Amino acid sequence: MLTRHIEGDTTAFSEIVKRHRDRMWAVALRTLGDPDEAADAVQDAFVSAYRKAESFRGDAAVTTWLHRIVVNACLDRMRRKSVRPVADDELIEAAERDMPLPDQTAEREVSLEVTAALKLLPADQRAALVLVDMMGYSVEDAAAVLDVPAGTVKSRCARGRAKLAPILSHLRNRSDLTRVSSPKGAQLRDG
Amino acid sequence: MTGDTHYDLEILAELAEGLLDDATALEVRSHLAICDACGESLAGLAAVRELLSAVPMTAMPLGVAMRIDRALEAEAERGGLRLVETPDWDEIMKDSPWEQPAEPAPVVPVAPVVPLAAPRKKARGRLWAMPVAAAAAAAVVFGGVGLATQLVASGSGDGGAVAPVAGPAASPEKSPLKTAESAWAVRASGHNYTSRELNGPLLGYFGPEPGTGSNSDEQTDKCVARKANELDRQPIAVDRAFYNGQDATIMAFWEDKTINAVRVVVVGPNCHNLRPEGLATWN
Repeated sequence: MLTRHIEGDTTAFSEIVKRHRDRMWAVALRTLGDPDEAADAVQDAFVSAYRKAESFRGDAAVTTWLHRIVVNACLDRMRRKSVRPVADDELIEAAERDMPLPDQTAEREVSLEVTAALKLLPADQRAALVLVDMMGYSVEDAAAVLDVPAGTVKSRCARGRAKLAPILSHLRNRSDLTRVSSPKGAQLRDG
Repeated sequence: MTGDTHYDLEILAELAEGLLDDATALEVRSHLAICDACGESLAGLAAVRELLSAVPMTAMPLGVAMRIDRALEAEAERGGLRLVETPDWDEIMKDSPWEQPAEPAPVVPVAPVVPLAAPRKKARGRLWAMPVAAAAAAAVVFGGVGLATQLVASGSGDGGAVAPVAGPAASPEKSPLKTAESAWAVRASGHNYTSRELNGPLLGYFGPEPGTGSNSDEQTDKCVARKANELDRQPIAVDRAFYNGQDATIMAFWEDKTINAVRVVVVGPNCHNLRPEGLATWN
């Protein structure tokens, strides 16, 4: 009986991995900015999740749990040691390996500069921006992952964006990717 | 406000996030109505969000995915499964808020995750056999050409670069145990290898498979012997060269000759890995 449970679970866990690996990879890669570190972090996270699978039970969403494990694995790595700087050619190689971009020059440049700029932020601000701005999660979802109040996520995002704005300002007019959201500015001005 | 004229970016970012109290927010908005510079700063903050969201999401590389499968397989073999009951994954996943994100970023499909086998006991030295078999199952097609892809089979905790390996998938060959008589030919090309080059093909760098030979450098010899013992197989080529400008010894071991898969080990003068072990093609 136990064997059946175990067999069933291992199949199920493979499905979990399959469903979430790309998203977990994106979170880790963007948070750490280093493909090797990201691979280690995601592997550690999935193994940890596998070992502690029973703690999924009763949780609202396994995705939140998985994201939390991955983000914590990334934050642990960032705290334990300063992640080695990523050479531009490594990121370019990784990008080429993974997915050739339609407009490689412009998008690659923007991606590399954004990645480099993110590394200048404190870990908590980086993690918040990765989840909210890069992954597109709601503040509430990000707060659940980071296990902090929503206001804290907003504050971290605000401070992070304030630091990034001057660093990335030169990209604003260089790419179609950056369309300044003037309606939002007007909305804010008008309340 | 800075210099009694403009608000700093953090205040404006907090305004955008709705973090300011009503009175302060009103004050800042009033200022924004007449200050182009602060309006521009606010637009700059919005541009940051757009820049971040525009970074493309890439799929997990196949090698990393298979490496994780392998780690989970090893975990199962170690008896790491501690479930008392099987969770109902479908039920748990049903309410998952991010199963269907609002704007899913395009990802490149990779081979399916290989279902984990039931825990079973087998020698640790044979663990590498599993990902090879998994790679056979993970054949994908690029541009209409069948390509059996191989994975990074680095040890636990190692990072891994990935190199696709062309050729038909097959069962892994058994690696001969290293014997006291074993020797290997060491080249000293002095070439400065890059990570990309070490993904293969390697034949052009190492020359024809040298088989065995003599080596007069005791330190290199010891290091190669150590790695050979760790991997439980003989190197097919060793090159004393450079890796990203650092003194390095590059070792190539057959991972699976039938599918042209070579494991690449790069160590520095102290025999410490300079990069995670990875797989490459030989020719």
